[in-house]
Amino acid sequence: MTLPQPPGPDRPDDGPAAHGRLNPLTGLVLAGAAVVVCLAWASWAVWLAVLGAALAAASRGRILSRVAAAASVVVVPFALWALAIHGLFFPEGRTVLAELGPARVTTEGLVYAALFVLRTATLVVVMLAFSLWVDVATLRVALVRRGVPAQLGYVLASALGLAAHVSARLVRIREAQEARGLVVRRGIVGRVVAARLQVVPLVLQLVDEAGERATALEARGSSLRGRRTFYVEEPDSRLQRSARWFLAVASLAVVASVVVPAILGIFGSAG
Amino acid sequence: MSHPLTSHPLTVDAPGRSPLRITLTVLGALAVVATYAFLIVSQPADVVNGPTAASALVALTGYGLAMVFLFVGILPTLPTTTLALIPVALVLNIVLGQFVGTTLVPIYLDSIGTVLVGFLAGPAAGAATGLLSTLVWSFFNPTVLPFAAGAAAIGALAGLTARLGLVRRFYVLPLAGIVTGLIAALIAAPVAVAVFGGTATGATGAVIAVFRAAGDSLADSVTKGAIISDLSDKLVTFVVAAALAYALPRRSTQRFPFVRKHRVLAGAKSTARGTDGEAAPAA
Repeated sequence: MTLPQPPGPDRPDDGPAAHGRLNPLTGLVLAGAAVVVCLAWASWAVWLAVLGAALAAASRGRILSRVAAAASVVVVPFALWALAIHGLFFPEGRTVLAELGPARVTTEGLVYAALFVLRTATLVVVMLAFSLWVDVATLRVALVRRGVPAQLGYVLASALGLAAHVSARLVRIREAQEARGLVVRRGIVGRVVAARLQVVPLVLQLVDEAGERATALEARGSSLRGRRTFYVEEPDSRLQRSARWFLAVASLAVVASVVVPAILGIFGSAG
Repeated sequence: MSHPLTSHPLTVDAPGRSPLRITLTVLGALAVVATYAFLIVSQPADVVNGPTAASALVALTGYGLAMVFLFVGILPTLPTTTLALIPVALVLNIVLGQFVGTTLVPIYLDSIGTVLVGFLAGPAAGAATGLLSTLVWSFFNPTVLPFAAGAAAIGALAGLTARLGLVRRFYVLPLAGIVTGLIAALIAAPVAVAVFGGTATGATGAVIAVFRAAGDSLADSVTKGAIISDLSDKLVTFVVAAALAYALPRRSTQRFPFVRKHRVLAGAKSTARGTDGEAAPAA
């Protein structure tokens, strides 16, 4: 859909108000660079430094408690299972600390588990700090403005918006079914029947709505090609643009410095 | 357009499959295969050293490139009906996946939405849904991101299953689910080893621990654990997704050109027009 370009809102806001505020793409590139650093340098010191930086950034963005809560939901079960699998059952381990039947607690297994937990925790905190900080609407606009298919932006924004409402819908459906006499019986069969009575209406409702939404999207020219006009402010500055380019090129160079020798090594050993 | 009174079409078809888009899709599939081959060939025999730089970075770079190629190759070609369904599929994946993930059952049920889109809209839409589902879910749980290629393969294979008419043949559908599960497990296992050191949570983690206790290598234990979980998971997922597809009213399923063209669902013969309001037999 090609419309006349208004002087301001369609382009990133480069004015004085934009200074001091991060563009979502700057946040994305920062998070991506941190992930590359964590993966390229397999060292606990690097992971601790990146973890500290991510937590400091989350604190500065006033999302530290949300990041900590969301990260703990992912990292705590991961850490417990890592300790259970590698801490108790690590046949490659030589330094046995304790033996409990078939389980052997070894130093090597505990170190292995701790290293993977630390790296995973760092990656999770970095990525959650970005996803909880970013405004999805602004990110969508920033991506589509730079040539990312508009469909990707629609799906991202729509799915994240829909996810927030589905649990409330499930509650309403369950209440409606309970009003019709649904009783969740004990045992797997009772639970499956109860789940079916809640999931099937939810799916029917969502698919039906998707059909109506498709008609509305078509009527608004969503599948037409051409430039879009956005009225969402996207803060940006020359400094941020330079920093993004620098970080992106540096990250690519680091990735290439690790990936290319690894691939050449495979070919070399095959030859 | 030939009608003299038609001034301007209100809707347009999605852009067709140009040679460029087909090339990008093929490149995406090749990137998946090449990355997988690298991870298998470079798998270390000894895991004591802990995380290494190359394998995790190659996995994320290779599958990341594949994701970009597949997005650019597939997304713009999807019709709006399919595009509007994808967020619904993503939400179903997340809601059901998070529910089952908290139970001690060795299945995930985190791809029912992806398989449903594959059944209704075809392999390309299924692959795109798998990729997007992983991308959106990573906003809540970033550990799923490295498994994007497996999710795309599940969606593509679900679409292929529907294309081959196996959703009409209920007795073959579980077999299609098992084959999909096997392929998904083989794709996911090297990633789980390279990126997460073979750690899995829930019942899959317990299965891996059992094999490790028996003295198996980490790669073998993770592969066996993934196969056990994925075979049963995809079998259940395919059957449930097919049941949901049959539970949908015909006016909903017949909106999808793929369903009409390939007569995906059993029952009265599909036609391109005039089936609104006829309910399909409930599953």
